[in-house]
Amino acid sequence: MTDFGTLPDWAALGPALALGFTALALFVADMVYPKRPQRELFAGISVTGGLAGLALSVWYLVAGTGQAESGGAIQLFEGTLVVDGMSLFFATIVTSVVVLVTLASYDYLVDHPHQAEIYSLTLLAATGMVMVGMSNSFVTAFIAIELSSLPSYALVASLKENRGSIEGGLKYFLIGALSSAILAYGISLVYVSTGSLQFGAVTEALSGGVGGILGLGIVMILAGFGFKIAAVPFHFWAPEAYEGAPGPVSAFISSASKAAGFVILFRVFVDVFPYEVVEGTVDWVMAFQAIAIVTMTVANFAALRQEKVKRMLAYSSVGHAGYVLIAVAALTGEASGAFVLGSGMVHLMVYAFMNTGAFLFIALAEHWGIGRRIEDFNGLATQAPFACGAMTLFLLSLAGLPIGGGFFSKLYLLIASVRADVALLAVALVLNSVVSLFYYTRVIKAMWVEDPSDDLEIESQPVGLYTALALAALVTVLLLPGFGIAVEFANTAAKLVVP
Amino acid sequence: MTAPLEWYLVLSAGVFCAGLFGVLVRQSALHFVMAVELMLNAANINLVAFSLEHGNLTGQVFALFGIALAAAEVAIGIGIILVLNRNFDDIDVTEAVTMRW
Repeated sequence: MTDFGTLPDWAALGPALALGFTALALFVADMVYPKRPQRELFAGISVTGGLAGLALSVWYLVAGTGQAESGGAIQLFEGTLVVDGMSLFFATIVTSVVVLVTLASYDYLVDHPHQAEIYSLTLLAATGMVMVGMSNSFVTAFIAIELSSLPSYALVASLKENRGSIEGGLKYFLIGALSSAILAYGISLVYVSTGSLQFGAVTEALSGGVGGILGLGIVMILAGFGFKIAAVPFHFWAPEAYEGAPGPVSAFISSASKAAGFVILFRVFVDVFPYEVVEGTVDWVMAFQAIAIVTMTVANFAALRQEKVKRMLAYSSVGHAGYVLIAVAALTGEASGAFVLGSGMVHLMVYAFMNTGAFLFIALAEHWGIGRRIEDFNGLATQAPFACGAMTLFLLSLAGLPIGGGFFSKLYLLIASVRADVALLAVALVLNSVVSLFYYTRVIKAMWVEDPSDDLEIESQPVGLYTALALAALVTVLLLPGFGIAVEFANTAAKLVVP
Repeated sequence: MTAPLEWYLVLSAGVFCAGLFGVLVRQSALHFVMAVELMLNAANINLVAFSLEHGNLTGQVFALFGIALAAAEVAIGIGIILVLNRNFDDIDVTEAVTMRW
């Protein structure tokens, strides 16, 4: 693109800047109207900010900013931040989720006394998540992870009169604080043995040999990231936090925060600690294979036993972390690294829409106040066929049926694990998808087949939540024919990261 | 005259383990937060000590950021512990168990 020569390098941070300034604008707007919450104004500012971030990310991604053909990754602030295809790909995911979630919050927060705070915390957390994807040093990575985590704790606990919300927030905070301390200690051990925190410099220092202290540091960093992506055995906060949090917040954390955890995990393990170099000390491909299989299996079988729909979706979201982990677990060198990594990235993209949509349907159910158990959803389709249709679409796509983009992205992960010659991963992926289909079907059956109870009455069709559901459903379906485009972007971005 | 660098590693590992022990055995949420602070400061000891050894300021600067982030984390944590106390009349982390898997 010719017009890109005129833009300064810092403009590449546009998506993060747009979200950050929107959060500040919300603080100002809240100061102007301290007593009367201005629902339309706050939601309008947030959605506009999210859309601006999304537009910038997509524009940069399509124009090829930071890609190989336009001169490679843009490094900023002495190489502590980097803008390349991968960071823009994940910025697109995060900003899309922000748009959906803020649209839904417009209705969900209708009686909430602190609306501007919730919107601005959401946008600040999203800024952190976008920055996680752009960080190219352990310092910026740690700060960005904290910027995305700290507002999330407050968001989960934001229903201050609701014991479930407080409990979820408390557990999220306690385990989050513990894991960020472990991550910080791991980073300090990396500094002890390499004398640097910038990703490129750390990799260079590795050529002098990998000692035990560095190995311990790598394991601790793995544990810290494992918490962010909610992989078993670091997942204990996830079902509680997702269940207790307000619906839109669950959607936001389970989709965007997970994507942010994955982007830094991809970058650090693929780029900074190359497998060939650290294999002797920490065999992380083997570790990720074990974590991936355990995560898929534990989460899907736990989801089978759940009676509450939201908690079931929380476990399904943990299970999807296991599927995406195939992207690093299959980097055995047998298959093309870019293809394997790209499959994981594109699954996160599809997952962001279908999972956000499913959680927003739960938010809609909470807004109607019809209860949380599966039998509370009995016959809901007679009252709200459109919303139930969208939910059915999300659930079937999450299970991997060819009705939404989830089919192709799971297929690609399957191909990746087969090509990488890790049969166990492929078997676990298929078996767990079958198991997940079983519990997703229970919800679909309740909505469409069962008879409604007599007092089931839907009095409203909130416009914001419906718009968000419709958009998420539209993109999930469009990703079926448009999957080739998405996977193209993911593979191009992954090529730059995989050595 | 400086102490050998290994001693700093031993000190920081000791502080980290003390914090981890506190996390595992304490029931009060405030004690939990204090224990996490110990773990974060163990990382800072490493960073500052080895900043001298490596002859660059990266470690010291990161330690400053670490201190600021720890303060921010405590601010959020105290807020959550406050609403916990209002809702459960206690700050015992083992009390808040209305949800079970």
